[in-house]
Amino acid sequence: MLIDIQNIYKIYHEGLESEVRALDGVSLQIDRGEFVAIVGQSGSGKSTLMNVLGCLDIPTYGEYYLDGTDVTALTDKELARIRNREIGFIFQGYNLIQELDALENVTLPLIYRGVSVFDREDMAMEALERVGMADRAHHRPGEMSGGQQQRVAIARAIATHPPIIMADEPTGALDSRTGRHVLEILRELYRGGTTVLLITHDDSIAATAKRVVRLSDGKVVADHPQEVDWK
Amino acid sequence: MNLWQAFKMAFKSIAMKKTRSFLTMLGIIIGVASVVIMVSVVQGQNKKSMEYFEKMGDNKINVNAYSYYDNNNETSQKLYDYCLSMSDLILGITPDVEVGQKMTIQYGAKTLAVNDWNGGNMDWEKMMHVKLGSDQYGVCNNYTLAGGREISYLDIEKTNAVCVLGSGAKDALFGFTDPVGESITINGQPFLVVGWYNSMDIQYWPEMDNLIVLPYTFNRTMNGNSSIGNYAVKAKNAAATVEAMTRLDAFLAGMFPKNEQGWSETGSYYVQSNNSYADDIQSQSLMQSLVLGAIAGISLLVGGIGIMNIMLVTVTERTREIGIRKAIGAERKSIITQFLIEAAVICSVGGVLGIGLGAVGTLVAGKLLLGETMLLPGVTITLGAFLFSVILGIIFGMYPAIKASGLQPVAALRAD
Repeated sequence: MLIDIQNIYKIYHEGLESEVRALDGVSLQIDRGEFVAIVGQSGSGKSTLMNVLGCLDIPTYGEYYLDGTDVTALTDKELARIRNREIGFIFQGYNLIQELDALENVTLPLIYRGVSVFDREDMAMEALERVGMADRAHHRPGEMSGGQQQRVAIARAIATHPPIIMADEPTGALDSRTGRHVLEILRELYRGGTTVLLITHDDSIAATAKRVVRLSDGKVVADHPQEVDWK
Repeated sequence: MNLWQAFKMAFKSIAMKKTRSFLTMLGIIIGVASVVIMVSVVQGQNKKSMEYFEKMGDNKINVNAYSYYDNNNETSQKLYDYCLSMSDLILGITPDVEVGQKMTIQYGAKTLAVNDWNGGNMDWEKMMHVKLGSDQYGVCNNYTLAGGREISYLDIEKTNAVCVLGSGAKDALFGFTDPVGESITINGQPFLVVGWYNSMDIQYWPEMDNLIVLPYTFNRTMNGNSSIGNYAVKAKNAAATVEAMTRLDAFLAGMFPKNEQGWSETGSYYVQSNNSYADDIQSQSLMQSLVLGAIAGISLLVGGIGIMNIMLVTVTERTREIGIRKAIGAERKSIITQFLIEAAVICSVGGVLGIGLGAVGTLVAGKLLLGETMLLPGVTITLGAFLFSVILGIIFGMYPAIKASGLQPVAALRAD
């Protein structure tokens, strides 16, 4: 089992009048090489779940085993290492660093990983080529369209060849055509053996995944595989 | 995170916010420049004084002993004998007296007026001095012979009319020709030039070369006084100077014992050395440097607080960037390094500009205050000021950097 969470709670203002249970006892197992969509309305807790799964946030209670490792017991440094090597993030708002050009943005995780100067530019260029952005390597985010920025963000996520890709509303800010392109890239990654987690509120986008986990009010209300129609 | 990347990022973010970065740097620029200028000017002043003392002769002791009763001859003899007995410490002793009367010195058509206060010849750089000394005058006063010989013992004994010229006097009377064997006249009396000294080459005291040395036995006729009270004693080294001064002091104190009121009824004396003048001036100058440097340092401190302030703003502004970096695997260490380097870069760029401004300021101040054409800050103060500004950047960047690194990635990503 690649991802195994047991009874995860994320509670804000615990014990107070204003207590919010963003995650209310979620258990979920995801195998290596799955393509899972986590679906839910706004406020259902799906982003919180991704943050917890991506080691960006610490659950209030519960157990989380990533590839057999108890993540809740890890230090700050070890978590940084997991975020760097095991998981690639794709955000709705791209989250590229504006001061850096596309190539530099993609190189950044490789720098944090400690890849040598000689290799990292090649690796970053290769990632940009995979998303079809090699010709924009020296453009800054501000000089690119939303779709292009998202593709650069995907290149950044896959540059270190992480076994898991987590995409939080990756098409949310894109028009439907570029959105489809982004989903095609995710499917391509899945075919290459990467575990893909797609977080979305949009059922039509969730339809691209092989398994759907539906969240509501911080609880899993449905979890089933589905037939996909990939052209 | 490698350092080169951090430097690149730092320069980029400074370049993106030029006005703000410059204003932040301004504090450091002014601070560093004022430290550099103040310390350099004090050091320039000090160098000026020190050069004089060094050329005048280190390890030179000035002894003044004057007896009220014995016409001073006996005192003179005793002092001489005592100094000769310290041959392990002392290289030489000579009377060192200046002739105070008005004189006219002539060679051919050239004339020098000495001590002519009414003739308008008051340019101190051109003033000529007629000194009375012994065969050891050169040794004791750090002059070296350029040609000819010193006054000899026999010249003194027989009051021979001979003289040794300083290079200033030689140039004024003889130009580039060899003076040895020529005769000059002092108030009409002919003196044979037997030797001349090399130039001391002291930029600020060319006067040091404007001398004519006669056998001290001319004291009677030229100074109207047979007693000699002032001596120059040359010790072998710095330690010997201290030892010889202590002994001379004790010797003279024994010769002129003090009464109950604390003063001597028999005579007066003092023992001083250029070493002690030089030490005084050096320690004084060090104090001045420290005090002025510290005052200027306060402005550097204020500049540093400005850096901290702006780095805190930067951290807040770039919270999202920090979140992104953490999400893709930056460790706390990397984030701290990045912000520390940014602060250090701002400070170093400010420091370099400050040193530049300081160098210009030092040049101007040197010209206006010291009359120096090319006074520039020393290497030590330049390096010191630069390092200080870098360290300042690191110290004041520390708090914002640590604050930035401690952010939870999810919280940082949520920031706008």
